[in-house]
Amino acid sequence: MACSEARHEKGMEMDADGLVRDYLGRLEAAAWTLAGDRRSELVGEVREHIDVALTDAGRRDEVTVRNVLDRLGPPEEIVAAEVETDTTPSRAAPLLTRREGRLGLGAVEIVALLLLTVGAFVLPLIGPLLGLVFVWLSTVWSTRDKIIATVIVVVLLFLPVLLLFDVSVGSGSVHEVF
Amino acid sequence: MVASETRDSLTELRRGVLEFCVLAILRSEESYGFDIVRALSTGELLTSEGTIYPLLSRLRRQQWVTTTWQESDAGPPRRYYRITDRGRRALDAFAADWTRFRSAVDGLLGGEAREGDGDGR
Repeated sequence: MACSEARHEKGMEMDADGLVRDYLGRLEAAAWTLAGDRRSELVGEVREHIDVALTDAGRRDEVTVRNVLDRLGPPEEIVAAEVETDTTPSRAAPLLTRREGRLGLGAVEIVALLLLTVGAFVLPLIGPLLGLVFVWLSTVWSTRDKIIATVIVVVLLFLPVLLLFDVSVGSGSVHEVF
Repeated sequence: MVASETRDSLTELRRGVLEFCVLAILRSEESYGFDIVRALSTGELLTSEGTIYPLLSRLRRQQWVTTTWQESDAGPPRRYYRITDRGRRALDAFAADWTRFRSAVDGLLGGEAREGDGDGR
């Protein structure tokens, strides 16, 4: 509230600066997938462009600023152009290649998935455990993927077993009492 | 429909030639981002001016341009872009390709236009 009041007091100039700040904020948000140093560099370049354009125009009123920002184009478009031309590894790139890799499932991966799903019913306990062996043989999935799969299977397999054990111990004690 | 399709193919064309237009602008003298944009905007070569910075970044990675900071009379220092020898070689190669490409396309377009006139289409 105090901020918007201050804006009104200072009039047009404050609005214009606010527009620039908003624009650069949007750019920074859109650029989160870029490598850290390139992100700050890109934002710096665009900030410099706005400064030069406004100096060149000799005015910093709202209309001038809006025109400069319109000509720059949407921040998302600038980042899209960056991603398109980007050949250096960024945060987005490994994610994409991994996703592409996952699409190309081999025989090992298919067997692993079948054992983990259908196998759990056809071969209780043994199926999912065999599935895990195949998961770890896979060259497509990352170690992180494999660890996640293992944890899920182990938890799902042993939770019921532990619960059963608990219940039987519980009922055992009940028997003793009576 | 036709107008938007033409615009799409223009976008594709721009994408292919823009980096060499930037190199051509830098051929005679070094320049800063805003000035490069101003030179490009005369020929409808750049729709969103901001996309020049990703392009300049790529040219830098390809070592076709280098950047230096220079003091400015008005305001903070500016990043100046300068073409490298490698960039000049790339530009020369493109200029030769472009001449051949342009005359081939012109020849076909001119021929088609004449045929079209003859058919009354």
